[in-house]
Amino acid sequence: MIRVPIARRAVAVAAGLVVLLLAAGVATLTLGRLGLSLADLTSWPPTGKSKFVLERLRGPRLVVAAGVGAALGLSGALFQNVTRNPLGSPDVIGLSTGAGAGAAIAALLFPGVVPTPAGALAGAVAAMALVYFSTGTGFRHPGRLIVAGIGVYAIGTAIIQYVVYAVERDKASVLTAYVNGSLNTRSWEQAATIWVVLLAVVPFVMLLSRRLTMSELGDELAAGLGAEPQRTRVAAVVLAIVLSAGAVAVAGPISFIALTAPQIARRLTRLPGPHLTLSALTGALLLVLADLAAQQAPIPVSLPVGIYTLALGGLYLGYLLIREWKKGTL
Amino acid sequence: MTRFLTKLIVALAVLAGAMLASIAFGSHPTSFGDVLDVLSSTADPNVATVIESRYPRTALGVLAGVCLAVAGTLMQGVTRNPLADPGLLGVTAGASAAIVTSIAFLGMSGDAVWWALPGGLLAGLLVHVIGSSGGGSGVARLVLAGAVVSAVLTAYVQAVTLSLPKVFDSYRYWVVGALGGRGFDVLTSVLPVAVAGLLLAAVLGSGLNTLALGEESAAALGANPGLTRALGMLAAVLLSTAATAAVGPIAFVGLAVPHIARWPAGSDSRAQLLFSALVGPALLLLADVVGRLVLAPTELMVGVVTAFVGAPALLLAVRRMKAAA
Amino acid sequence: MKIATRNLTISYGGAPVVGDLTLDIPEGEFTMIIGPNGCGKSTLVKALGRVLKPDSGTVELDGRDLWSYRGREAARKVALLPQNPVAPEGITVSGLVRRGRYPHHTLLRQWSRDDEGAIAAALERTGLSELADAQAGQLSGGQRQRAWIAMVLAQQTGLLLLDEPTTFLDISHQYELLELCRDLHDEGRTIVAVLHDLNQAARFATHLIVMNGGTVVAQGPPSRIVTTELVRDVFGLACDVLPDPRTATPMVVPHAGRVATAP
Repeated sequence: MIRVPIARRAVAVAAGLVVLLLAAGVATLTLGRLGLSLADLTSWPPTGKSKFVLERLRGPRLVVAAGVGAALGLSGALFQNVTRNPLGSPDVIGLSTGAGAGAAIAALLFPGVVPTPAGALAGAVAAMALVYFSTGTGFRHPGRLIVAGIGVYAIGTAIIQYVVYAVERDKASVLTAYVNGSLNTRSWEQAATIWVVLLAVVPFVMLLSRRLTMSELGDELAAGLGAEPQRTRVAAVVLAIVLSAGAVAVAGPISFIALTAPQIARRLTRLPGPHLTLSALTGALLLVLADLAAQQAPIPVSLPVGIYTLALGGLYLGYLLIREWKKGTL
Repeated sequence: MTRFLTKLIVALAVLAGAMLASIAFGSHPTSFGDVLDVLSSTADPNVATVIESRYPRTALGVLAGVCLAVAGTLMQGVTRNPLADPGLLGVTAGASAAIVTSIAFLGMSGDAVWWALPGGLLAGLLVHVIGSSGGGSGVARLVLAGAVVSAVLTAYVQAVTLSLPKVFDSYRYWVVGALGGRGFDVLTSVLPVAVAGLLLAAVLGSGLNTLALGEESAAALGANPGLTRALGMLAAVLLSTAATAAVGPIAFVGLAVPHIARWPAGSDSRAQLLFSALVGPALLLLADVVGRLVLAPTELMVGVVTAFVGAPALLLAVRRMKAAA
Repeated sequence: MKIATRNLTISYGGAPVVGDLTLDIPEGEFTMIIGPNGCGKSTLVKALGRVLKPDSGTVELDGRDLWSYRGREAARKVALLPQNPVAPEGITVSGLVRRGRYPHHTLLRQWSRDDEGAIAAALERTGLSELADAQAGQLSGGQRQRAWIAMVLAQQTGLLLLDEPTTFLDISHQYELLELCRDLHDEGRTIVAVLHDLNQAARFATHLIVMNGGTVVAQGPPSRIVTTELVRDVFGLACDVLPDPRTATPMVVPHAGRVATAP
């Protein structure tokens, strides 16, 4: 009899992540100067201060953080599966930078006319279109995708830096904060946006997941098994881009979640497979934690959450490096 | 040999032309004739001032172009990755972090170069040490080490600049690489580092040739691939730090020039280094001239121009990649 | 299960690798394809396995264009083991074999009752039952290749395509694998394998296809077609062809090397 240990372990890890996520959510609502007491949380309907905190201040922010984190984690898992590159994420092909450049152009050329998130979304779409057309083969060949991404990344960076240089200081400062990705003052509309994107994309991801599992065996074998690796790849890249673009539209380009979440998920289970659900949960947890840090850090200025994810991501990469170093596999 | 000599002369001529153009053209209209007048001391003093003000930026362009291009050639030769770029080494992030620190916490202002130099070197050496210790092939680890150091330093830079508006103001001007507004003193202060890097690069040429055959063949030929790689990286760090400290971060010169240089130089690493050192400054100066002319009377910084010229070139090149890639 | 090509042409970057090839793979045989490097033998096998799409012409499976089948439908009839399959990190042997069940699943039925039986049978058949829970990455070369064979067996197809299955094995494991293939053929499967070693091919194949320059230059039972002239024309190698002292199949003895002199 052949046992299936895979499911049990993955389910245990998923349950653990959900518990941690809930705990982080409660911490987000209760800690700090404006934090609620546990009694406030359990009394329904909320009134007075707890109504304000829940409905206006931290509630939407928490829901956005979880949604954006999940979208980024899922997006990274799809992208890494397709490119077979542990450093893969839509950021690598210039999506975030494109979004930042779009936001920058909107701020420079149409101040007050085009809302920054709309500019970011347009920038992300333009960057992806540029990548798509310049490869000459669409999203089919991961190698070309990455090289084209380097080019698009450079253009985006140059645009951002030029605009930050050219506009006046306060505007530049706001723009820089946005380009790092921020969750300050999110609204319920933004929470709705990211969750609608998630709910719309997830069914397609589920349809794709078995084929993604097959793609791990290499193109030829996957094709021999009828899993149509090339179509799978294109579909996965498109879904990853939609998820990332949704995240960018509501929170700006938050770095490193898409990159680290799938890696952490993989190490938690130590099993093969694209780990889609676990990557989404890990991403949500990471971003909620990072945002908790951004809100509660004992420094006078409120920094955008993207700086925390950048630092955390860097440290995580460092840990990875030391680990592989000790194992001698790198 | 004569074909080689012809190519060399052509490359030198292109570089000389670029230098002349850099002196002759700018947001304030002057001509080649004016340059000749200045050289023969017969020019209108106002014109002479304009022209002479372009000497330091031209010299800086030559220095930065040589450094970036040679660093890129070294990186690509050492990693055998045609997309390797000096930016991978953490030098930019290190220089940024040092500049930001100096302004924010040590009350320094202005002269960024004195901080960028040690900052870039330190970060580059840190990446180098993390990335190459413990033996092994080291290239993947080096890239990862570069990413780690860059990410952490960038987070630090962003945190400081967003907290302190004054620092942000200086930083945002520095981080767009530009040749203008700097004097000969900048040149002299980075020159020793640049020269050290170039000397090291010159010595490494034939070692790189063996490395191109792969680790094992190189060792079998009696070369020391580990040492060659380590010294190559060191030279790349020195050179890209010198360039970054002098003119700020400039994209694409280090990535693109080695590919252009391969065209006249062929597969010999020594020839590639030589031609890179000629093509790099020519390209950078021409980009700077373009930047002075497109938005005249204001200027577009050379870092923006190189990205806008280099990136489309890269995008066009993608189509010619092998289908299998 | 009948598979054949009709005027099949496949090119890489402009130059045809297989040109206008019409070929019937005989049913129920153990066919081996041999030929010099670049003759198109791997390309042909990939085309038969629905991995490479023809530039022109067709591959026909039971009289129908192979590309008119849905991917999984074709994969229930034809299995291909490529030259360098990738084992996902952390996967167990049984997990690997389980991947071969993919063509038997549908959108709604992602596990089928026959899975466990097919996986157990495939492991049993390749002698890997004991190693079912072992990490695929920790197997020896011979064991790993058998695990891959088990994966394509779990696919439960009547036709197996193997692209150079012996390449990375040492000599004893090469013969172990060839004997496994022969036994699988004896049980009624049609097998097509690309092989490098002429003598091994002549020993084990019941049908030999010799390719050169993208087309078939000879085919038939090894004893009939392996001749001095064929080896000279196709491989450019001067040799004698003698009966193998053990199996009486043709054995190629090259002329190259120094003739031994009596002591």
